[in-house]
Amino acid sequence: MKRRGRGMACMWYPIGFTVAANPSAAVVKVNEDGTATLLTGTVETGQGSLTILAQITAQELGIATDDVHVVSADTDATPMDTGAIASRTTYVTGNAARMAAEKAKLTLFEVAAPLLGVKPTQLEAQDHKIFVKGFPQRNMHIGDVANHARVVSGQPPIGSASFNPETLALDPETGQGKPFGTYVYATQIAEVDVDDETGEVEVIRVVASHDCGTAINPMLVEGQVEGGVAMGVGFALEEEMLFDAQGRHINPNLTNYIMPTSLDTPDIEVDIVDSYDPTGPFGAKGVGEPTLVPTAAAIANAIYDAVGVRITSLPATAEKVCKALQAKREQQPKQIGTGAALDGAASINTAVQ
Amino acid sequence: MAEKPKVIEKPDVLERPDILKPQAPAPLVAFPIEVVVPEGRQQTPAVGQRASRADGRLHGLGQTKYIDDMYFPNMLFAKIKRAGIASARIKNIDTKEAEAMPGVVAVITGRDIPCNSFGPSLKDQPVLADTRVFHAGDGVAAVAAVSEQIATEALEKIKVDYEVLTPVLDPLESLKLETPGVHAPSANIYGHKVIKKGDVEKAFAESDHVFEGTFRTQMVEHVPLEPYACIAQWDANGRVTIYSTLGRITLGRADVARTLGIPMSRIRIVATVVGGNFGGKNEIRAEPAMALLSKKTGRPVKCVFTRSEEFTSSTTRHPLIMDYKTGVTKQGKILGRKIRLVLDGGAYCSWSETTLGKACILSAGPYNIENLYAEAFVVYTNKTMTGAMRGFGAPQVCFAYESHMDDIAKALGIDPLEIRLLNAFDEGSLSPTSQKLHSVVVKESLLRAAKRFGWNGIGDGVGNGNGA
Repeated sequence: MKRRGRGMACMWYPIGFTVAANPSAAVVKVNEDGTATLLTGTVETGQGSLTILAQITAQELGIATDDVHVVSADTDATPMDTGAIASRTTYVTGNAARMAAEKAKLTLFEVAAPLLGVKPTQLEAQDHKIFVKGFPQRNMHIGDVANHARVVSGQPPIGSASFNPETLALDPETGQGKPFGTYVYATQIAEVDVDDETGEVEVIRVVASHDCGTAINPMLVEGQVEGGVAMGVGFALEEEMLFDAQGRHINPNLTNYIMPTSLDTPDIEVDIVDSYDPTGPFGAKGVGEPTLVPTAAAIANAIYDAVGVRITSLPATAEKVCKALQAKREQQPKQIGTGAALDGAASINTAVQ
Repeated sequence: MAEKPKVIEKPDVLERPDILKPQAPAPLVAFPIEVVVPEGRQQTPAVGQRASRADGRLHGLGQTKYIDDMYFPNMLFAKIKRAGIASARIKNIDTKEAEAMPGVVAVITGRDIPCNSFGPSLKDQPVLADTRVFHAGDGVAAVAAVSEQIATEALEKIKVDYEVLTPVLDPLESLKLETPGVHAPSANIYGHKVIKKGDVEKAFAESDHVFEGTFRTQMVEHVPLEPYACIAQWDANGRVTIYSTLGRITLGRADVARTLGIPMSRIRIVATVVGGNFGGKNEIRAEPAMALLSKKTGRPVKCVFTRSEEFTSSTTRHPLIMDYKTGVTKQGKILGRKIRLVLDGGAYCSWSETTLGKACILSAGPYNIENLYAEAFVVYTNKTMTGAMRGFGAPQVCFAYESHMDDIAKALGIDPLEIRLLNAFDEGSLSPTSQKLHSVVVKESLLRAAKRFGWNGIGDGVGNGNGA
C-alpha cells in the first residue's frame, strides 16, 4: 500500500570559497553605438552565468541585456577568474563586472558632462541615455556619448576591475574567523509516496523556497532550482557508485548507475525569497549549489513521515527502505509498552512510536 | 439569466491527422538567422528581467560547438589506458607493440611528463601513473592514432607489469593509525578541521535530553551530459592551444604550465561551451598528456572521455560518515552539538580541502548553537578521487543535521517547523565561526515554503509516520 509523507529541510550555504583568496577580474568596453562588450575569464557551464553577467553589466550602463556581448574563457583574451565554482559567479564575477562597467560609465560621464553643462557627478545612466539627475529631459543617447568619447575626446570608455570577497582566515585551533563573504538560505518541503510492501519511494512534489539575494534573472533562478532538486532526488533515492572487494568501480555506466529521468522528477514549485545583500551586485548573492543541498534531507524526512522508518544512509533505494520496514515490523511487538526512550539516544529512530 | 451552453465544434476528423500527410523536409537554417529577440533581453532596467540566454538559440538549433563537434585538419584521436587495479606498483610498461600498429602515431607514459603531479591544493595527482597506481581509474599510458578505433585497439597492445598491492577501501579503516598509508610515507589523514565554540560537554550536562545519530552518504558522479574532453594543438613556436571543458581556465593554465615546465605565456586555454560541470571539471585531467602527444606528433590531438572514464577517472562526491550528538531543552532549544565527520577522500586530494572546510563549517546547520565542537577528517582510500561537486559537502551534512533535527522533534513531540523556527539564525546571528551574518532569511524561507506547501503541523492524517 502506498503511504504519503511530508518532510522538510532547511539549509545555509556560503558564496565563494575558503582556504585561499578567490578573486575575479572583468573588463568592460563600451562600443561607439552604446552597446558593450564584457570580457570575463569565467566559463559558461550551462547555468546561464554569462547572461547574468550581461544583465549586471547592462544594468550598470543603463542599457539592455541584449546590448552586451560577453567574451569568456580564453586565457589569451580574458582577465583572470577563479572560475565557475562555489556558486560564486553572480556574486564575485558579478561584482567585478559591475565595477568594470562603472569605470567605463564614469568615462562616459566625464565626456557627457561638458556637453550637458553639468558636473560628471550629476549624471546618471538609464534606458540607453545619460541624463542629468532630476532632469531626465536633459539627456544624450549613450551611443552618441560613446562615439563622442572616441572620435572627439579621445577617451574610449573602457573599465577594468577585480573583486575578492572580504574574508578573515580561520584560527587553526578553534576554527573561528570569517571564511566567506556572504551566505544564502533555503527550505525545501517534499511530499512522497512510499510503497510499504516494496519500499519504493516516489517523490510527488517539492516546494523550494530559496534566497539568492536579488534575483538578477528569476527565470534562471528557477532553472537552477529545478535542476538542483532533480539532482537531489537522484542523490536521495538512486545514485551510488559501487565498488567490488578489489576496489574496482562496478557500475560505470548509465544502465547500472541509476539516475532520475524526467519521469522521476517531481512537481517542483520554486519560490524566491525576497532578500537583498548590500555586498552583492545589485543585492545579488547566488543560487547554483544550494538548490540541491536540502533535497535529500527533505525526502528522507518525508519517508519517515510516511512509513516511520529512519533512513540513515543514502541512497534510500527500494531495497533499503523495504529492509528497514521489515526490521521495524519484526521489532514492533517488543516495543509495545516501552514508551518513549528519550535518553536511549542512539535508538530513538525506532524506539519512539 | 441562464448561460447559453457552449457549442463545441466537432473537429473535422478527416482533416486532423496532419502527421499522416507526407512532410516537406525541414528547411535548412538560413544565414543570417532572423533574430526574434524576446522582450526581456531588450528591456531596461536589465536586472530582474526574465531575459532569455544568448546561447539558448544556438543550443536549440544544434549549432553549439562542443569539443566533440570540433575538428582540425590532420587531427589525431587519443585514448588513455586505465590501470583497472586499485593499488599496484608499476614494474614495467611495454608500449612497443602498440607503437608498431599501423595508424598509431605516438604513445606516451607518465615518464614523458616533465613534472608528473598536480592538484588544486596538494600536488598528489599524476597526469599518468608512472611508478604507483592509486586507484583503478588511473591512466598509465596515452595513445594518439589516426582514428578513435585504432587508438582503442592499441590500448590492448600495451603491456603493463604490475605488482598488485592490497587496497585500502574503507575510510574508517584508513583513519586508523595502524593502517598502511595509501600514499606512504604520507599519512592517510590528509586534512583535518576543527570548529570550537563554547563548552559542549557542559552544555550536554545542562541539557534535558541528549540525542545521537550516525548518518552516511554515498559516492556519486556529476554525470554531465558532455563528458570531459579536450583538443591540444602545439605550434612551431612552441606555443600550445588547448580547447577544454575546464571550468577554471586560470588555474588550468597554471597546472598545465607546471606539469609541462613551460611559461604560462606559451599556453592558451580556451574553455568551450561546457555541457554540464557541477564541479567535475574544475581541474585539469588529460590536458598535459594531450599537449605532449601534439608536440610529439606535430598534429592536433583530441581526447574525449567515454562515459565509463567519466565515472572512474574524474572526480566524484565525497562519501561522508557523520556522527551527531545534540543536547536540547524540553522545549527543543539546542544547547550544544558535537559532530565528527569522516570524508572518504579517494585516491587524491583534489578539492577535498574546500569540501572539508565547507562541510565542517556548515555541519551544525543554520541554527544558533552556542556550544559546538565539529571535527572533520579527510582520508585517502584507493578509490576514484573525490573532489568538487555541487554543494561541497553541504548536501551530505544537511542530510545528517536535518534528519537528526526531525528525530529530535519527533521524540519531543514538537512540529518540525516549530523546532527549526525556534533554533534558526536571525539577522546578526553568529555563525559557528563567529561570523556575524547579514541578509539572513532562513526563517522567511521556512515560513514561505510551509505556506506554499500547505504545511499544517504533524499528525494531521497525512502519513504521520506511524506506519500503521
